[in-house]
Amino acid sequence: MAEPDDSIDCRRAHELLSRQMDAPLAPAEWALLTAHLLICDFCVRVQRQFQALRAAVRHFGA
Amino acid sequence: MRIEVQIAELQPMLLKIARMQLREPAWAEDVVSETLIAALEGATAFEGRSQVRTWVVGILKNKILDHFRRSRRYVSVDAQADSAQVESLDELYDDTGHKANEPLDWGDPEAALSQSQFFEILQQCMDKLPRSQARIFMMREWLELETGEICDQLAITSANCFVMLHRARLRLRECVEINWFQTGSASG
Repeated sequence: MAEPDDSIDCRRAHELLSRQMDAPLAPAEWALLTAHLLICDFCVRVQRQFQALRAAVRHFGA
Repeated sequence: MRIEVQIAELQPMLLKIARMQLREPAWAEDVVSETLIAALEGATAFEGRSQVRTWVVGILKNKILDHFRRSRRYVSVDAQADSAQVESLDELYDDTGHKANEPLDWGDPEAALSQSQFFEILQQCMDKLPRSQARIFMMREWLELETGEICDQLAITSANCFVMLHRARLRLRECVEINWFQTGSASG
């Protein structure tokens, strides 16, 4: 369980959200990100948006 | 319309995609020529299972991948130059590391994907990215290359690669949100 001191802000969360789409995160990073997403609906939105951009680009030329 | 004419009419769009991926304009022209030749040769066998455009863009994708495989370890100098630029993302966040503007709820992304106008906005947003960011984003998301292959191809570190992909995603997210979701272009 992450202590409050270990919590991350949205800026760091976006960085991890992006990296997670390209490579697996280290367990500690994954834990911090997961803890943040539980309390931050905005970052959950950003996560869906990054995934939507991926889907859109793969659709590119369709 | 005859399929040969439909294929020929795709040339400017193919060139635009190819130029985004390949540093030298001559290489982009080469892969587009190869694509058009392959498409014309295959036209009689094309059974209309998908749109002509989808089929030809798929051929282009493979030609670009072939090009990358032939020219392994090619050092893309401008990717390095671009990534060395100090680019601030500060305006996207406030002092506490939160987003300066709260992200909108995009609703069902599938709805956007069914509208061709959405792709025009996406293309315009892509055009606004620094060139090397757009290229690396397309290598990852359209060509579906792993980051290891991208680093190898562009001779950049994986840390650099992650940073550039992150910046591209943030900028595209912001641009698409402003120009599509906020202006009410999105319907339903």
